[in-house]
Amino acid sequence: MIEKYLTGWSFRSATPSFEPGQEITVVLTGVRGDDVVARVGDSILAVDGASSENVDRRARIKVTEFDDNDHDGRAELLDLVGETTF
Amino acid sequence: MAVGPPDDDDGDDIEQELREGDAARDENGIDFYGGRGMSAFPIAFFIAWAIVQSGLLRIGDTAGLVAGMLIGLIIGMLFVKGSWKTYANTVFEGMTQRVAATAIVAWLWAGMFADTIQAGGFVSGLVWAAEAANIGATLFPAITFLLAGLLATGIGTGYGTTIAFTGLFFPAGILLQANPVLLFGAILSGAVFGDNLAPVSDTTIVSAVTQDSDIGGVVASRFKYAIVAAVIAFAAYVVAGGAMEGISVAGDPETILSDRSESTGLVHLLSMGAVIVTAVAGRHIIEAISWGIIVAVIFNLAFGLSSASDILLFETPSDAPLADGLSGLPIVEVVDGGEAAVSGSIYSGAQGFFPLIVLTLLIVAGAQIMIRGGGFEAIQEFLLNNVATSVRRAETTMVGGTALVNGMITINTAAEIAIAPYISRIGENFNINGYRRANILDANTAALGYIFPWSGGVLVGYTQITQLPGEYDWFTQAMVVNPADVFLYVFHGWLLVAVFLVAAVTGFGREYVHDRESEEVARL
Repeated sequence: MIEKYLTGWSFRSATPSFEPGQEITVVLTGVRGDDVVARVGDSILAVDGASSENVDRRARIKVTEFDDNDHDGRAELLDLVGETTF
Repeated sequence: MAVGPPDDDDGDDIEQELREGDAARDENGIDFYGGRGMSAFPIAFFIAWAIVQSGLLRIGDTAGLVAGMLIGLIIGMLFVKGSWKTYANTVFEGMTQRVAATAIVAWLWAGMFADTIQAGGFVSGLVWAAEAANIGATLFPAITFLLAGLLATGIGTGYGTTIAFTGLFFPAGILLQANPVLLFGAILSGAVFGDNLAPVSDTTIVSAVTQDSDIGGVVASRFKYAIVAAVIAFAAYVVAGGAMEGISVAGDPETILSDRSESTGLVHLLSMGAVIVTAVAGRHIIEAISWGIIVAVIFNLAFGLSSASDILLFETPSDAPLADGLSGLPIVEVVDGGEAAVSGSIYSGAQGFFPLIVLTLLIVAGAQIMIRGGGFEAIQEFLLNNVATSVRRAETTMVGGTALVNGMITINTAAEIAIAPYISRIGENFNINGYRRANILDANTAALGYIFPWSGGVLVGYTQITQLPGEYDWFTQAMVVNPADVFLYVFHGWLLVAVFLVAAVTGFGREYVHDRESEEVARL
């Protein structure tokens, strides 16, 4: 329980990095060209396998590539896991 | 009692109603004369009403806001193109959303807990602590901030804390020659601290529920911002306490405090602890507060802090069938026929939230109209395309937006409910974690409700202070603090806003959705 109080005492980057193979939960935030994307801070992951109807839904995705300089990468959709509140 | 299927007419009616409700959910649009911006009319009308009522007319009546929201919903319907049925069904759709129901349930429990520890003399315990510390004018504002913060964290209501402290600690502090403006500011700062951090605070509950996060997790994640602001505020009150002079008055502060001093009341720190520990440990908020209520009732009765009738009392007329038979029970009292009632902390604590509950249902209904009519999307698109174009700017926009709405609407919980959907959508567009969103939402809600001269918290305290000349011979009108004078001295409020502005720019405490998952929604 103490851990909950101690989490987040740090300065988090506006452009978080991801490793290929990393599985994460994100909100699918929009469409860029033909891709559905998840914007995490100012980093962007294009999500293969997601459609524009999935925007604003929560999804499990697996990162397939990520460029730390451009803060841009790709991921594949594993599962849709929920809705947003509003 | 007949049990079975309803007759055909009733069945058809219900099915028809269900179909219409589904249709409202399935349909994405309500068309308004004047375009999608008109769907914002009910909420915009409500905000304007709230500014006029609470800010310009200084009427801090939540039930009055209910009237404003109802009229807004009625006038808004007049601008709908075609059938009004979808609009009407959308009102139902909004009111039946889980976000409203969960906040309501948590408020009812929180209200019962808060009133029960107050009935059990928690304030008297804090008075005893202040007396025992035997402090002088310099330290009195700082200690008042600390104790007011403790009370507000226990009872979750900054208004209740302000009333209790302006009635007791304020006159006592003046007799100690503490500066009145600084003292009032310290009380308001304590109220901000508790309103922001308490798991049983109405604003904490709204911030967590609307950002899809569990209340215990929100409280734990909020601690880092609150404590940074509080440590600096405490130091500032010590320094200012030494620098700002008080008014010389002949009198003994003991005469005010000693009547209300009772060390045993401090056992309710354990009641508070029961709620905080179980909530942060991840137990359901209803379970956590229920434990707090049980512990508080046991303490009240075991230590004689309150009678059973202070907690629950049936006041029954003498001609009631069971009046004679049950009149021996401690929670039953025979009264004159016209005075029959139920009372006690369990009753009053829950009842105190009734106006806010009705208002919340209506605001959520108005927000749903705005979502179905496209107004919500229009504002969101504008913000995301023009203002919140990076995560830093998004968080700064969230801080600024909550500040703006809370600066205008002085009943801070109502303001928080109105702005919550935007915080949710803007934050989610950058995958900002629900805990972080809830913390940004609540910081300004708690802070600005107690800073400006038109804020509900300041007016509540001011009203109490204006009654003091009638209570104490030595208390003159010159000692009454003008609401316009105090705003600079609500140190914790300003520091909380500053901490979040710095956090938005520097990334302090920022977490993304994938960094940490909230406890399951059912735990709330």
